[in-house]
Amino acid sequence: MDTVVEIRELHKHFGVIRAVDGINLSVKPGEIYGLLGPNGSGKTTLIRLLIGLLEPTSGSVTLLAQAMPDKAVLAQTGYMTQASALYEDLTVRENITFFAEMCGRIDRAWIDEVLELVELKDRSRSLVRTLSGGLKQRTSLACSLAHKPRLLLLDEPTVGIDPQLRATFWSYFRQLASSGVTLIVSSHVMDEAERCDRLGFMRLGKLLAEGSASELRDQANARTLEEAFLRFAVGNMEGGEG
Amino acid sequence: MSSRRVLTLAQRVMRQVLRDRRTVGLLIIGPMLVLSLGAVLFRSEPAVIPLGVVNEDQGLTVPIVGSIELGQRIVDELTAGDAFNVVFLDHHDVDARLRDGTVQGVIVFPEDFSSKFQENRQVVIDLHIEGSNPTRSMTIIARVTETSMKSLAELVGTSFAIPGSPQTSEGEAALPVVVQTTYLYAGEEFDTMDFVAPVYIAILALFFVFLLACVSFLRERSLGTMERLLATPATRIEIVLGYMLGLGLFALIQVAVILFYTVWVLEIHYLGSLGLLFLVIALLAVVGVNLGILASAFARNEFQVVQFIPLLIIPQILLGGTFWAVSEMPKYLQPFAYLMPIYYANQALRDVMLKGWGLVEIWPNMVILAGIAGVLIVAGALMMRREVA
Repeated sequence: MDTVVEIRELHKHFGVIRAVDGINLSVKPGEIYGLLGPNGSGKTTLIRLLIGLLEPTSGSVTLLAQAMPDKAVLAQTGYMTQASALYEDLTVRENITFFAEMCGRIDRAWIDEVLELVELKDRSRSLVRTLSGGLKQRTSLACSLAHKPRLLLLDEPTVGIDPQLRATFWSYFRQLASSGVTLIVSSHVMDEAERCDRLGFMRLGKLLAEGSASELRDQANARTLEEAFLRFAVGNMEGGEG
Repeated sequence: MSSRRVLTLAQRVMRQVLRDRRTVGLLIIGPMLVLSLGAVLFRSEPAVIPLGVVNEDQGLTVPIVGSIELGQRIVDELTAGDAFNVVFLDHHDVDARLRDGTVQGVIVFPEDFSSKFQENRQVVIDLHIEGSNPTRSMTIIARVTETSMKSLAELVGTSFAIPGSPQTSEGEAALPVVVQTTYLYAGEEFDTMDFVAPVYIAILALFFVFLLACVSFLRERSLGTMERLLATPATRIEIVLGYMLGLGLFALIQVAVILFYTVWVLEIHYLGSLGLLFLVIALLAVVGVNLGILASAFARNEFQVVQFIPLLIIPQILLGGTFWAVSEMPKYLQPFAYLMPIYYANQALRDVMLKGWGLVEIWPNMVILAGIAGVLIVAGALMMRREVA
């Protein structure tokens, strides 16, 4: 299999708003692909389209060689939403086990490994309600890993967490990628993007540019990614007007 | 204390309430809806009661006055009034007609009705009542007594006297009417609580489970776990069924507690099988869970869930044949009664508890309840699709 994610001419319109406006994209196995763009650029919509939570207006999505929407594929994908969506009255372990079970896979050894990875082993019996924001975010990540997915879709996983935890998260992502998991991570923080293998700049539902961080900088003749993004955005606006 | 802060706070609260159009609408429409329903039901004219009459009275020939047929006199009086719709029956049919509901009471005048009167100077009316609705039984007894008194009073007015019979000095007191009531179902030992118990149970079983399901499903949505759940292979129908089973267990425990408490602690009289009662209430609880899941799709927050009480629960109680028999409601309200799940539970529970009926008689109501549950399950799953997309 040469691509894990294949998106063709994807459109999602909400009335006159084109949340996703003709996106083509493919992601290779073991890659960390970063979707980078400001709030409202269509990152969340794109991820929800990928996983079949939204139906596209037109275009197609293929995950792990299966045309979406397809419920069976979801047993091999992990999804982490922006808000740490967890059952507050359950313990950390109960939450993780629940989502693993929903995907039809309970592997206690793996769950222990996940708890180890996100450093929650000693809090596994705590009720989620009693956890701090950062710990909840880690639990949330653990839930999306619970069934050993081959593809992880993470929607702004590092939003609202401190820089130290953010660094820890990125080291988890790298570990996962090196074990063969493919990751799509959305973010609006430019310095995070450096850590992705490949990046897609998103703005107003369109993919402005694609490539590794250094490629994008070179292409835009910019020193930083932020600058590169702005140049691409300006170029796109001019192109749009012309 | 700053009055300015208080006012600013009040302003903010008002602004928020006004933004929630449904709440504003409900604040105004809710009370009107519930009040109108109540007014219509309380004011509805008492229905004409179909009353059977078995008249075998041979009459009595009295010197001077001639032939007196007391039975016929009372029948004439009953027919003349607008309280009853009199149907003449053969005495073999009495129980059958009461059972199938074509008459709600039957008066039997035996052959010696008139002569007994002459002997005792007392009218003894043999009244048979269906008995499963205490309010109606009371109405029938009261109206029959009243009508009989009236026809006897007319006899007094003609200074009708029977030679050789004991003379009484005080006119009306000499002509008492005694109504001896025989109940087809239940009976005299049943008090009002016994009659109300079945519907009480139904309301409780439906109400709490409905709220529980509605709020927990809503919470799943507002905390974002629903989105996460839908990103797993779990299908919508699986989620609804899972909820039904999970909450259903608590519903069943609740049902068991309700039954235990009403039967053994409150010592409610009941006739039919306890197992069957449990089954009916359990079915209603399943309906409650799924109604809650469906309703949660239309609520944004817990506050809006509470608003379903005047919209969904109170009309159920008023229209579902709980306190007013559906047949006695205004015609235009009757179709709504048949839409209320609680109506079918009420029917079945009354049939079991008051009439002692079994599965053979009540299965149609149970099938309808199960059908409603099925429709709600599918509707709940379909609504989930809409809300997530």
